[in-house]
Amino acid sequence: MSRVREENVLAILDASTTASNPTQHQTDDQIAFLRAVRGAFLVRDYQTHPTNKIYEPVFGIMRMGSSLELILESFRLLCDLHQRFPRVHVLDKDGSESPELVVDEDAWSPFVFSSDVAWSVRQSAGKTSSSPLDSSAFQTLIEELSEVFNDANLQALETKTLGNILLFQYLVRILEEDFVARKRVYDETMNWTLVRDSLLSMLLSSRRINYRSLMKDCFFIICGLCQDCTQSSAGLISSDSSTAKPTTTENTTVAIASLEAVNNIGASLQKLLIIIMELDTLRKKADLEGGITRADGVRTPLLEIILDELTYNRDLLSPFFQKFHHPKWKLEIILQYFSKYNAKPSVRTRRSNSSTEDATFNGVLRCFSNITSTKKIIKKISKDVVQLLLAHGFQVILFHFPFSNK
Amino acid sequence: MVDMDAPLDFETEDPLLSCPVIPQKRKKVMDLDDLVADFYREKNKVMERESKRAKVRKKYDADDDDCSKEALLSRQIDECHNQMKKIGDEEEVSSASIQVFGNRKPAPPAAFPELRSCSILQSIESDKFKSLLEVNGETGEILLQGLLLNEWLSKLVSLHGHVEKSIAKWVFHLMLYSPNDELRAAACSFWCTILSPENEGHKLPTEWVPNHSELRKALETYGFLFSISSPAESVNKNSGDRGPPKNISVWIKFIAAYCHARSKQPTFSASEAEEFIEIIIFLYLDTQLQGLLIQLYECLQSVISCFTDEEWSTSCVNIAKSLACRLPRDLSCLRAVECISEISTRSNHLRNVVSYHVLLVCLDNKAPNEDEVLRSLISIDVKDKNCDLFKVYICLVLTENWLLSNPILKERPIIFEMWGVYLRQCSSHITSTDLRPYASKIRTRASYCLHESRR
Repeated sequence: MSRVREENVLAILDASTTASNPTQHQTDDQIAFLRAVRGAFLVRDYQTHPTNKIYEPVFGIMRMGSSLELILESFRLLCDLHQRFPRVHVLDKDGSESPELVVDEDAWSPFVFSSDVAWSVRQSAGKTSSSPLDSSAFQTLIEELSEVFNDANLQALETKTLGNILLFQYLVRILEEDFVARKRVYDETMNWTLVRDSLLSMLLSSRRINYRSLMKDCFFIICGLCQDCTQSSAGLISSDSSTAKPTTTENTTVAIASLEAVNNIGASLQKLLIIIMELDTLRKKADLEGGITRADGVRTPLLEIILDELTYNRDLLSPFFQKFHHPKWKLEIILQYFSKYNAKPSVRTRRSNSSTEDATFNGVLRCFSNITSTKKIIKKISKDVVQLLLAHGFQVILFHFPFSNK
Repeated sequence: MVDMDAPLDFETEDPLLSCPVIPQKRKKVMDLDDLVADFYREKNKVMERESKRAKVRKKYDADDDDCSKEALLSRQIDECHNQMKKIGDEEEVSSASIQVFGNRKPAPPAAFPELRSCSILQSIESDKFKSLLEVNGETGEILLQGLLLNEWLSKLVSLHGHVEKSIAKWVFHLMLYSPNDELRAAACSFWCTILSPENEGHKLPTEWVPNHSELRKALETYGFLFSISSPAESVNKNSGDRGPPKNISVWIKFIAAYCHARSKQPTFSASEAEEFIEIIIFLYLDTQLQGLLIQLYECLQSVISCFTDEEWSTSCVNIAKSLACRLPRDLSCLRAVECISEISTRSNHLRNVVSYHVLLVCLDNKAPNEDEVLRSLISIDVKDKNCDLFKVYICLVLTENWLLSNPILKERPIIFEMWGVYLRQCSSHITSTDLRPYASKIRTRASYCLHESRR
């Protein structure tokens, strides 16, 4: 039954793929196709999820769509389908039994992390825009975005870049949901394999990506977002806009879309960084319990990479903290930053490092209680940086953990 | 978008049939370098094409006589190609976009004398901080802006438990009228925090909440046309102050949060909420706001869910009737119907009702009830050469949306049957060789619906 329905929906698209160039008709047909998929799989009390045959063209439209509307509509459809038919979910059990992770292996996923052999076969078969991404494609995506955000005019992004931003948003959504479900079950069962098999972990441990440069790219995009925001204060309602060149319809469309995309990519990047740091924490925990094997490989925790970058580029502290809002991790970064400069001479192993008592904001404030240690820190870090870190630290402490540090 | 840098694929593309290269519309300001680069790119392509053609010709070098024939043939093919293009263009005349923004008005004056007396500034000025921060009347507002940007303001306010009227008004004004992207975004998130359902207590923690007319006034300032007389209305097209301002995205986000908070504090009436729905649907019709599709959908859902059940039954019909009068009877009315999401029961219901009422208007209000509507649709002879197929297409899609998971199909088998008859008529009475505009669209749509309804 579902097969027949899928064929019927796909027939809308078939009519248009015969056309050689993207005309208005093809766009219309693609829109009609997306709407038909919504009507067929999202409206009714229909419990069977669509197969890859449906997902692939939708994904392809999101990646190669010729108009902003197509890209946004396919993005929305993928998100809605994903919400209705999640690939991973947690089955809560009654009583003392721990929850169970249910993974629908057949369900479509935008990622494919297969072994090298299978990958090269796939590669030779020819990758299309509608097939899932592997880890190196993810890295390429981030690299492209990072190039755009380093030098382009963010007021007028190209449709392709806007499409890439939405693709990234979608991928992060998938990574996050998969990871959060697995983390929930791990917290109860302590079964590290569940986390190791998460899409995020497989992505980061893939040998086809350069993990460190991937993380650096993410970090620099976040910082770049903010620098641009401060320059782009020329809104459309302003007295001097009348002297500017006439705004064409197309300019307006692009300007409005770009503003929104820039806001969204910031949120998605922050999400990605947070789940990676959470993954690092779980890994540390599993390591203490002896769950980590050689198969897990070695990876520098993201927090260390961020701290390194912030240490070498102090100018980036302010832009980074303006775009990175998550209270818990913001505080963690601030505390680690101080502890880097305020390390006790005693030798400590990495494992015991996390549980020292003065790794709290109170501990940091204590360092400023007498004039000599204050001077010492200011000499090392500079007055401006100390003020910035303390201001952000206070904000987090006062409003997010008001009772933990009294 | 066509990738201009990609190598042309000559295996699949016939050089004679391929479209002449049309320069892509620029989205950025062109400078001289771009022009030069473009020139060379185009030149290379032409050269590549020529050499390809030359190669093709070489094969036939043996019979030179054919050259003239070939030229003739190629000219004829070109002509046919142009004609085909023309036919295609004619069909595209009716686009689904209307411009809902006209000329902007100057923003209301931003004078907030009462801001000086707000408690935050008062406490700073009277305290020992005064010398430290050097705050006086002038710099007070700048200080507050800084607090707003760094999110301190919303945190101080949440610590305080309530927002003073002066602060609330000032932030609201910044949110809607500030030319600074960052300030607007910060002001919007300030208001979203205040209106957030996560706030404890039964009332909103603020002394002042904007009312409907203040939000309407903002749209007027942006140049929103509340009554669209004709889509082609052109008011001073070259003015820089035309078209939607960037500020509109904040307006949309605010409305979404504002409607979420209605359960806590009814700050606007049901009929005012009805107007919001209509406005959002019209915003959706303007393709200049394409980038905000997701926000518009979310906002629409939020407004739809802010009605009580009693209000909804009447409001739903009010909205439908009003939209039916105002929407142009072309593709944009289909766009309007399709932007109402089918995911929730309530919005699917709205989609059904709006489609039905627009359909009534399209049939010139001659059909008094559901049965008559379908009967008059069936009576249209699509085989007739004078039949307005564009209108048939509009009616077909409207009917589809009216009956989309509509309980009426189960309650009244006669409706279901007549729907089937109508679909069969549309799909079988139009042949696949029918070249009239919209003929094939009607055919494919109807046969798709027929398959779906049979399940």
